[in-house]
Amino acid sequence: MIRIAEVYKYRGHECVINGVNLVIPQGTQVGLIGPGGAGKSLLMKICAGLVRPDSGSVLIDGTEVVGIGDVEMTSVRSKIGMLFQNYALFDFMTVEENIGFPLRQLGGRTEEEIRDEVNRLLLAVDLPNTQKLFPNELSGGMKKRVTFARAVIANPPILFYDDPTAGLDPVTSGKIFALLEERRARGGTTSIVVSHDILGMRDICDSFVLMDHGRIVFSGTREQIEASTRPFVGQFWRGEADD
Amino acid sequence: MQALSPSKLLSRFGAAFMAIALDVGGMAVLLYQILRCLVPPRLDGMETWRNLYKVGVKSAPIVVVTAMLTGAIMVIQSGALVAQFDAFGLLGWGAAFATLREVGPIMIGLMFSGRVGANNTAELGTMKVTDQIDALRALAIDPITYLLVPRFIAIVLMMFLLTIVGDLTALVGGAYTGQVLLGVSPSLFASSVIEYITLEDLFNGLFKAFTFGIAIAVVSSHYGMTTSGGAVGVGRSVNNSVVASAVLIFVLDYFITSILH
Repeated sequence: MIRIAEVYKYRGHECVINGVNLVIPQGTQVGLIGPGGAGKSLLMKICAGLVRPDSGSVLIDGTEVVGIGDVEMTSVRSKIGMLFQNYALFDFMTVEENIGFPLRQLGGRTEEEIRDEVNRLLLAVDLPNTQKLFPNELSGGMKKRVTFARAVIANPPILFYDDPTAGLDPVTSGKIFALLEERRARGGTTSIVVSHDILGMRDICDSFVLMDHGRIVFSGTREQIEASTRPFVGQFWRGEADD
Repeated sequence: MQALSPSKLLSRFGAAFMAIALDVGGMAVLLYQILRCLVPPRLDGMETWRNLYKVGVKSAPIVVVTAMLTGAIMVIQSGALVAQFDAFGLLGWGAAFATLREVGPIMIGLMFSGRVGANNTAELGTMKVTDQIDALRALAIDPITYLLVPRFIAIVLMMFLLTIVGDLTALVGGAYTGQVLLGVSPSLFASSVIEYITLEDLFNGLFKAFTFGIAIAVVSSHYGMTTSGGAVGVGRSVNNSVVASAVLIFVLDYFITSILH
């Protein structure tokens, strides 16, 4: 379970995360949506312990991540997998090395076991025979699938997906959302998906959180968001432009 | 151009001072964090070997060429004086003394800051702006242990070892040039070196190389890890890293020479 309470973050004098409170129950997939600059990716990075908030509390499976030491944070992060918006694949490693990296760092597995697991995942993300390629030899969609494979290979109980379909064509976006849905269907994983692709997210999330200007302006299920009479919520959900 | 008011001038001076203090403080903290990871050693073996190869083996050819030419230049510069005073027996001493104590470590240090330091900053800076550093942290891997400690070890160790290689190559270059230009036999050149050069001269230069290596490793890593602002930011960091390393090399050289002289 992820519990965020009264989180504030300032950039200079500007409040970019403004008193956010949010609870994400165990095993649910939450869609974090909102206009650009609303603070979605920043909130996700705060949850992952990559950015320290100025105040507030973030509990990951009961452990407070705000203000804890490196050793404790490493233990929390070992429960987290993250897919980054701009891939964040290690340039100096091949596809095989990138995906197998978390397992190698965890230890306890032979090279052969790691290779088998990497090959299994590469088949699952429809990227066979790409083991020896470097990230600069892959297309955007292929990179996204590789970074997805790297995020899930160690089977972390918590997954953060930061704009997994940004800049991808509809077919590739569909493939990525199918992978996310498959992961959710297995159960047991708590995840947050940040995306602007409302259409793609509708069927793969248990609930949605809408942010604007660093605040949560709506939180609820798909049915609740569709039934909302608040103009901003309806307008954003349906993707309508201002009059 | 409009003249700046005293308050604006003071404000700019204050901002510049704060920026320098922030960098110096950041480097000191980074050095402490790296040293903390070394006792007891916590580092990635593969990454360390990769960096030792990249920094050492790939820098060796350019170090050899530069050092050989440096030795040759030392002999050319002193050649006229040596011939004038018929002091051919001191040619080896003159070239070796300057090379081992000053020119060798400084030349190799500056080349290291330009080649290895700039590359280190560019790599780390690119990793920073493309979220690769965050990806490491998200995978519960400490970037200092995984990325910086191997680079620190590689730069310091290779700077030290390549200075030894460079010193020897410079002497070979000097001996060859002495023979070609002044007719000084390599054996006379060598005996002059052996007779007049002490181990202290050698260790003085190697100590400088060791400290320059630490400076280049810390400065280049600091600017890499604090990069922001995309490709422009990476370019700015590389520029800052090379300039700061070069300045620091001369500042350290001044103090070490003053203390050890």
